[in-house]
Amino acid sequence: MASQPAYGPRPWTFYALATLFTLFVIFLYGPMIAVLVLSFQGPSASLVFPLREPSTMWFDELINPRRPGDVMGAFGRSMPLALIVMVLTVLISVTAGFAFRRRFWGSTAIFYMAIASLIVPGLVLSIGTLVTFRYLGLTASWYGSALGAHLSWALPFGLLIMFAILGRLSPSYEEAAYDLGASKWQAVKSVVIPIVFPGMIAVALFGFTLSYDEFPRSWLTVGSKNTLPLEIWTMTTNVTSPALYALGALTTFVSAIVIAIALTSIIFIQRRRAGRT
Amino acid sequence: MTPSTSAKQSLLPTYLQVAPLTLVLMLFFAIPVLLVIIVSFLKYQMLVGIVAQPTFKNYTDLLTNPTTWALYRSTIKFTLIVLAITLVLGFWIAYFLVFHVRNLITAIGLFLLCTIPFWTSNIIRMISWKPVLGKEGLINSGLIKAGIISEPLQWLLFSDFAVVVAYVHLFTLFMIVPIFNSMARIDKSLLEAAVDAGATRWGVVWNVVLPLCKTGIALGALFVVTLTMGDFFVVAVMSGGMSGSATSGIFNDLQLLNYPRAAASAVILLVIVMLIATAIFRLVDVRKELVR
Amino acid sequence: MSTTDATPAAQTSGEIRLVNVTKTFGSSNAVENINLTIPHGSYCCLLGPSGCGKTTILRMIAGHETPTSGEIYIGGDMVVGKPPVERGTAMMFQSYALFPHLSVLDNVAFYLKMRDVPKEERRAKAEEMLKRVQLHTLKDRMPAQLSGGQQQRVALARSLITNPRVLLLDEPLSALDEFLRLRMRGELKNLQNELGITFVHVTHTQPEAIALANMVVVMDTGRIDQADTANVIFNKPKTPYVARFMGGQNVLTGAVAGKADGRIKLKGANGASFDAPATGSSPKDGEPMSIAVRRDRIKLRKSPGGKVATAANEIPGVVVSTEYQGSYVKVSVDVGGDTFVANLGDADYFADPVDKGDAVIASWNAADVNVLAKADSGKAVDVYAGHGN
Repeated sequence: MASQPAYGPRPWTFYALATLFTLFVIFLYGPMIAVLVLSFQGPSASLVFPLREPSTMWFDELINPRRPGDVMGAFGRSMPLALIVMVLTVLISVTAGFAFRRRFWGSTAIFYMAIASLIVPGLVLSIGTLVTFRYLGLTASWYGSALGAHLSWALPFGLLIMFAILGRLSPSYEEAAYDLGASKWQAVKSVVIPIVFPGMIAVALFGFTLSYDEFPRSWLTVGSKNTLPLEIWTMTTNVTSPALYALGALTTFVSAIVIAIALTSIIFIQRRRAGRT
Repeated sequence: MTPSTSAKQSLLPTYLQVAPLTLVLMLFFAIPVLLVIIVSFLKYQMLVGIVAQPTFKNYTDLLTNPTTWALYRSTIKFTLIVLAITLVLGFWIAYFLVFHVRNLITAIGLFLLCTIPFWTSNIIRMISWKPVLGKEGLINSGLIKAGIISEPLQWLLFSDFAVVVAYVHLFTLFMIVPIFNSMARIDKSLLEAAVDAGATRWGVVWNVVLPLCKTGIALGALFVVTLTMGDFFVVAVMSGGMSGSATSGIFNDLQLLNYPRAAASAVILLVIVMLIATAIFRLVDVRKELVR
Repeated sequence: MSTTDATPAAQTSGEIRLVNVTKTFGSSNAVENINLTIPHGSYCCLLGPSGCGKTTILRMIAGHETPTSGEIYIGGDMVVGKPPVERGTAMMFQSYALFPHLSVLDNVAFYLKMRDVPKEERRAKAEEMLKRVQLHTLKDRMPAQLSGGQQQRVALARSLITNPRVLLLDEPLSALDEFLRLRMRGELKNLQNELGITFVHVTHTQPEAIALANMVVVMDTGRIDQADTANVIFNKPKTPYVARFMGGQNVLTGAVAGKADGRIKLKGANGASFDAPATGSSPKDGEPMSIAVRRDRIKLRKSPGGKVATAANEIPGVVVSTEYQGSYVKVSVDVGGDTFVANLGDADYFADPVDKGDAVIASWNAADVNVLAKADSGKAVDVYAGHGN
């Protein structure tokens, strides 16, 4: 009972803040919706409203470009790169998250290195990675230097999420598993992983999207072939047609699908758990 | 090895668990940053590139160049403005979600609504302001139609205003999430105890809520400051080349292939960012907040 | 009492009166049509299982919840709609709700800070209050550095500095270990005697209520079952629910089978029959009626032959367990599906011990029977299921 909220009349601050919140949401989504609508612009090729003769011609333009550029090729690099970063982020941050549940020599140093990696400006890291590869005599490529640069950004996020999740995981679950005769690996596999699974989906979501949308860290590290954000960046400087909006709508659509998959699976798991207990 | 979590257990598995992370961070963070620092002290020669000759010239060049100072002034101006706006927005939006939305499911739904754009492309979100703020954009044409103005407002796009709008649009989430986290942990009975003691609505916020989400605010500020200071593409696109940032200098040097000077700029930026971060870490124990 | 007369609470009475108070959460009633008067200066315990609405009542008195309908008076003032600080109440929260970012001293001084009392003055006053709870040596500690008992004293000091006419305590002892709980129980009682203000104390443990309160309010799913002195509640429970919840009672139900010598005859299950003192009302034959008998008034004797036809005020059964409780032994007897409990003095018990599986006959004096106002529906918790439609 004590946790029941008061159901008195709502104070005026509620209405003031609800207005602020609504305005913020409009501010957040309004421009993106504008771009989405304008991506269906007709042959007038106007970059602003109103929408004249709606068509999908600018999406066609992306697939069969009349100008130099390699949107589909960039997409074909960004997608596998994001997937690889996602898998590696989950694997590495989950195992590291477990390590941090214990005190060990160097834990503070590694923790601060991860935080520093999170806040170091992406461009600085981009230069550094490029120089490192040059020094080692390696060629920069999306599957090498860019992958590493993306990981240096996605892993700290993954690690922080794992901290939040494992912090709430009581050690008594594992202890109970050991009491019931589970080996260390069995306890992890059949007790810990299922409990932290929704968190792992969140880590995967971060891993994928951080890589898929990353620009500054990719800039110098992808080598000769662009990833999608770089392709968009190039387009912002030399394309003045709604094709740019079409590309924006398309990438946002891909992100939206990934977000939807991640969130619905988390909600689904939580629902099922709530239903069982 | 005994199946127990006692402290006597060997630390070897722990080190194995943390090894991949350490390896990646060493290879793609520590070594690159170290090399940037080294390169920043090397000589640059036109057409030759990096020459293995130690020098302070890159730094003296930068620090005696008034452009550098102007760029930093501009960056710090943007950072402070954006920090102030995102802080106010982030605090009150989190406050609304935690203390005013009574249904937990609704609160989580609205929280997700605020965070979903984080997972979409920053560049797209930035350029999406063009059809809104442009000369013939939504705001200008709307205002002209409403008869409020007769000429389109020129300062909406390609201006400092546009830069701030884009920053706020991109970075407010980084403020909302940590503040929301801290606030959600505040025991509601603390607010009631304060009301019991005669605290006004504002008194509760000032004396209880604000001090208890200090860590969230610090963490959010850390994100916003480092992201704004490290940005270069928002300033480049949204100011239309009118404003620069600390990173624009790096960008220019890189295009001239003057790596040593770009590295020196990067090191200066890095030092400033790290100083700010250290100051914030001094202020609050962020690790305790993150790990607990 | 403190010397400040500035508080509106200082001069007025701490009588609390709830009139037709109903509180609805969503579609369910947390409390329904409550009428209750708590006299000034009494120690009142609201007793009931979790979810019975006792905390809701406390929070409505405090002003942290608003009743859906009804009125609440404190010292004659209608307080519904008034902010907590104007009610002259102080609340001590279950978790203590000490501000984790403030020192012990600043926690206690918080009320004075809200009233813009200058720093030096409020610190001096807070220190004085801390001396009263013997915690002034820890004034610079943070709440997290204190033990549970110390935290509770700080919470108490923080409540008392408002100079309240009513102190509201929400399960104040539940977070303490057994030893501290007993000690703090005594201290709360002494404090109430000393201050002379009204204490309203929410608890779910009946020994706590009996030990502390001069007024016990027993609640069941949103209603008050009985409100009276601890003695009456314990000895003369009105309903089977109160009898069961207070413990120490056996509830028996039978059908009325005539009246004789000023006594009502009841026929129970298994051919048992009981007498009950005649009450004001004259029940018709065949009507169900419940009686309660205190556990410590029950006598047991062995019945080696097993099934023996019994006299009035007796019931046969089989011992299912014996629990040694120090000064007495709790013997549970299965009487045809129901459990009947006898608390036997240890001397009596060991003179003729019974053991699990023994056939016994439980008996009592007709004079020890207490007639319940409501017949038992047979369910221990959900006594009024179907009543509230």
